[in-house]
Amino acid sequence: MHAIVPDTFQGAVIVSIIDFFLSFLIISGIGVVLALFPLLNRVAAFLNGHTPGHGTHGRLKDAANAKSAHEDPLLPVAVISAAVTAMLDGAPNRVVSIMPVQGTAWVNEARMRQYGSHRLRR
Amino acid sequence: MLEQTLNFLQALLDQTGAVNFSLGNLLMIMIGCVMIYLAIAKHYEPLLLIGIGFSCIVANVPGPADVPGGPAMSALLYAVRDGGLFHYAYMGVEKLIIPPLIFLGVGAMTDFGPMIANPKLVILGAGAHLGIFVALLLAKLMGFTLSEAGAIGIIGGADGPMAIFVAVKLAPHLLGAISVAAYSYMALMPMIQPPVMRLLTTKAERQIGMGEIRKVTKLERIVFPLVIAVVVNLFFPPVAPLITMLMLGNLIKEVGVTQRLAKTAAGGLMNVIIIILTVAIGSTMAADKFLTVQTLEIVGLGLVAFLFGTGSGVLTAKIMNLFLKTKINPLIGSAGIASVPIAARVSHVVAHEENPKNLLIYHAMGPNLAGVFGTAISGGILLALLGAG
Repeated sequence: MHAIVPDTFQGAVIVSIIDFFLSFLIISGIGVVLALFPLLNRVAAFLNGHTPGHGTHGRLKDAANAKSAHEDPLLPVAVISAAVTAMLDGAPNRVVSIMPVQGTAWVNEARMRQYGSHRLRR
Repeated sequence: MLEQTLNFLQALLDQTGAVNFSLGNLLMIMIGCVMIYLAIAKHYEPLLLIGIGFSCIVANVPGPADVPGGPAMSALLYAVRDGGLFHYAYMGVEKLIIPPLIFLGVGAMTDFGPMIANPKLVILGAGAHLGIFVALLLAKLMGFTLSEAGAIGIIGGADGPMAIFVAVKLAPHLLGAISVAAYSYMALMPMIQPPVMRLLTTKAERQIGMGEIRKVTKLERIVFPLVIAVVVNLFFPPVAPLITMLMLGNLIKEVGVTQRLAKTAAGGLMNVIIIILTVAIGSTMAADKFLTVQTLEIVGLGLVAFLFGTGSGVLTAKIMNLFLKTKINPLIGSAGIASVPIAARVSHVVAHEENPKNLLIYHAMGPNLAGVFGTAISGGILLALLGAG
């Protein structure tokens, strides 16, 4: 093991300054790369626009839009039916229609329930 | 007859640990009990604190001396020493087998969408790491070597596996104290962070709302771990084992065709590792080893690192607000110290207390995930500069 910097307080200051600012620089670089990610979707859309359906381009489209086995279109119906049954305490019911709500109230409520589990001291 | 009976009783007593019980043991048992209380009553990271707290208690119940006239050994220490039940568990920590596996599990249970969706917030992942360097400099001033100071400083990254990884490379003799400090403070972040966050922000700032962020496509989610794995292996070989496993875990989660593997990595495997890790850490908390000036200094420096990291994250967010048209809530800055998802949850809860309509969890996850990379980058540079790369 061969240290590049001397084992002194001055060495510690140098290490800290280099590390702190280099971290900023590198993290910023990662941020720049991530900012380019939406271009991936454009490239995929462009390629799919030329050869829809099959081949490599089709697979790109599939990758961009693929739904896993868990994303069964009937799954939301089952989940909503279960939720309604639970809310009505088992009383008979029938889900007549399902439509997306405007706004994000339900999403936010779910996130709050899922993550807001800590009771903090004031 | 009476003398013989007393001798028998004395011999019996000598075979128990009662005669070796010290005030230090009592103090550490109380600390273990507080950890378990916080886990049960306050829900502070029960997955970590229950195992660490229980092991801490048992490690401080002295048994008889291992050899006549030798030091007392707790039952747990018997289990941890060569050939014991947890000996190999502790070897997993010492030989750096467990940290990469933890990262595999974390990757398999983490949605990097918030980080990909809002790239400008990744800056907070670097901004919240000032604590690392404050602790490093203080440790150097207190007489630690530069390698030891670097290993202590990385506690401020609030990333347990990374703290273990760096400690093993730079100062393996401090592994026990550093891992205890890192994991204990991570679990106690809901107590440590909020006062600093409130101190550095105004009520108006804490109430800033943040809008919806864009949806991240599956293609982006698949490309992300591939790109990061290549970049990290190319530029940061010292920490590549951890980040590579993190990205592998994330890839098997995102591709959608390896659910069995993702479920195992994020579930069963992760749970086994948590049990092993918490017992291994707690078993290092025996009073005679833990209650030393050096350990207490490390624990103190760890707290300083967490406080400064939280503060610098919030201040970085405030500085960003000077340049941004759409202001961000500075509370998400504190999430930039890694500790996924604890720090993000703290940001969310503090903001939610100020404004019940404010739900920052998704926004805070961006800097929180960036903090993992921030710690890895800081750790990697430290290892390279201090000759352990």
